[in-house]
Amino acid sequence: MTGARAARLALALALGLALAAPALAAGEPLRVVATSTDLQSLVEAVGGDRVAVESLAPPAQDPHAIEVKPGQIARLKRAALLVRVGLDHEPWLAGMLATAGDPRFAPGAPANVDASRGVPLLQTETPRLRADRGVHLHGFGNTHYWLDPENARPITATILEALARERPEERAQFETNRRRFLERLDAGMARWVAALAPYRGTRAVVVHETWPYFAARFGLVIVAAVEPVPGVPPSPATLAALTERMRAAGVPLVLAEPYANASVVREVAERGGARLVTLVPSVAADPAAGDYIGLFDLNVARLVEALAARSSRR
Amino acid sequence: MTELLALPFLACLVLTGMHVYLGLHVLARGVIFVDLALAQVAALGLTVAILAGHPVQSDAAYWYALAFALGGAALFALTRTREATVPQEAIIGIVYAVSAALAVLVVDRAPQGAEHIKQLLVGSILTVSAADVIALAGLYAAIGALLWWARGPMLEISLNPERAVERGRRMVLWDVAFYGTFALVVTSSVRVAGVLLVFSYLVVPTAIAALLARGVGARLGLGWGLGAAVSGAGLLASWQWDLPTGATIVAAFGAAIGLTAVLFGLARALRAVRTRGAAALAPAWIALGGLVTFAGALLAGFPRADHLWLDALESVAPVVQETFLTAEERAARREALEEIDRGETELARLRAVGEEVRWGARAMDADKEERLRQFIAGRSEIVAGERLVLHALRERARERQRYWVGVPLAILGILPWLALRQRELRR
Repeated sequence: MTGARAARLALALALGLALAAPALAAGEPLRVVATSTDLQSLVEAVGGDRVAVESLAPPAQDPHAIEVKPGQIARLKRAALLVRVGLDHEPWLAGMLATAGDPRFAPGAPANVDASRGVPLLQTETPRLRADRGVHLHGFGNTHYWLDPENARPITATILEALARERPEERAQFETNRRRFLERLDAGMARWVAALAPYRGTRAVVVHETWPYFAARFGLVIVAAVEPVPGVPPSPATLAALTERMRAAGVPLVLAEPYANASVVREVAERGGARLVTLVPSVAADPAAGDYIGLFDLNVARLVEALAARSSRR
Repeated sequence: MTELLALPFLACLVLTGMHVYLGLHVLARGVIFVDLALAQVAALGLTVAILAGHPVQSDAAYWYALAFALGGAALFALTRTREATVPQEAIIGIVYAVSAALAVLVVDRAPQGAEHIKQLLVGSILTVSAADVIALAGLYAAIGALLWWARGPMLEISLNPERAVERGRRMVLWDVAFYGTFALVVTSSVRVAGVLLVFSYLVVPTAIAALLARGVGARLGLGWGLGAAVSGAGLLASWQWDLPTGATIVAAFGAAIGLTAVLFGLARALRAVRTRGAAALAPAWIALGGLVTFAGALLAGFPRADHLWLDALESVAPVVQETFLTAEERAARREALEEIDRGETELARLRAVGEEVRWGARAMDADKEERLRQFIAGRSEIVAGERLVLHALRERARERQRYWVGVPLAILGILPWLALRQRELRR
């Protein structure tokens, strides 16, 4: 008797669960794992409150060297989508995906979203045959393409398609979100371009090759990199030649990342007679850069402040 | 050049002055890695400071690092017992590994920490500021004066602990003083020069001096001279060959001790030959023969693997490769070499033009600039392609060299051993 009762109870429970499950799924936001905080911010912009996004890489760290934690692998397995910068920006990701062993995220699979699709790349001239003595980390072109706000258009388009493929019934919502985001972006673009317009053609020395997209968009000319290979400080002869050239050409700016070697950067700026500006390469690397739009607001404000101070001094 | 290298050289001299003396103690006590361990503990303190919200270059961060290093020093002083089942080197190693791991755990919670820790370990001696050098020199002069004042007991405890115990010296107190000084010095030096360089200053000059001289005074003087000379050589090499400065000085220290070892080996071999005749060199011949056999067998077995010695030989004497190529292949090789040469000259010229445009020394409209970029890209692909041709030709030569060079070398290398056996049998 008890056996039959237990069986009935189990049946009722199973039925109840089966009925509840779809309802639960519809109510739950889509889990997405992004490799960077910038992509996280863009996925949130398109997905709104219908997505729960985590970034694998912490905001202010060299994205080439990340140590993955077990919890992140577990969360990746539970996620519906993986959104990554692509190219060769995340060398650690291949190992992580192999460990996760989830066929959904195999290279080329639809759930493995490469945000670089549709983005026009810069610095692709490194020969693919690899015999050139190029001090260049990026074999497929520079990977910091999110630092041109115009590139948010193709990136969010890719994200929109991926989200809508997972949740076709919410496509309209995603499209509305993206439209609103692009409106904010357009307003921002107008602001940023206007603020930097007086300084078009300004030359700048960078520390790492992080800024070609940003510079191209806002009319800065990058003349040289202090540490083409991150972590290897420049040799004395290079440093001397560089700073001498900076003085001769009157280069007014040195652009550094927050994690750049402070003493090297200060030396280059002082000897070269330039102003040091720390620009933030990723969302949340600075408290003032809370989202993608805020990232550019902050960077443009810092640039304008430095350049205005310089021109008023003259 | 002098203007750029003067400050780094002064910093090197200050480091030499302090570290060579401490190095004497470290070598005598046999606690070589105490420096790396304390530096790592200081780095851990720095990560905690970053987590607490202090910038990495701030004074607060320095005090954090120093406090942690002093804690580590106290630990080392207290664990130095004379009849220990666990040697002190083991404790030093454990402290090193655990504090490195803890730093990783802390860094995980602190943004940017990892980059700063990496920079700390590499150091940036080239961009040291005058204020840094003055502060360091002042601090080390004060410490040096104290150490001079306490030189008697300090040296006795390091060099001759048994006698110090007999005399009733308070070992733990002196050890606390020694390791505490050490922690202060390491924390201050690593900030300027990085872990690797500081370690080199501590160990290498003293080690060479120990090989060449006896007595504390002679070793100290020799160590100071060597430290200054090697620093100067390293800085010059870094300037001359366009190399990162800190790593170059460390490599110069490596070269200095390597050279000393080779000279010592040669002197010993010479002495052996003088007393026992040419037979004394037999082991060296057999070892050399072994290497030749190994290289030959490797070439015969795996012709497509990297044979660096053969590459080097061929770059000096191309005939070694050309002998194994057909006339046609030789022509192709020569053509590729010429093409690479021409291409690289052209690329260098175009890149210089591109650079002038970017630096504003030459005007060029955007269209033309883009064309230049495309042209450079195309040219470098061509040069890379010619390199592939060279590579393919070399592989063909290797296929033939495996029998004509590899096999004979493998046999040749056995000859010294055979000759020795023959002689022994005859005896």
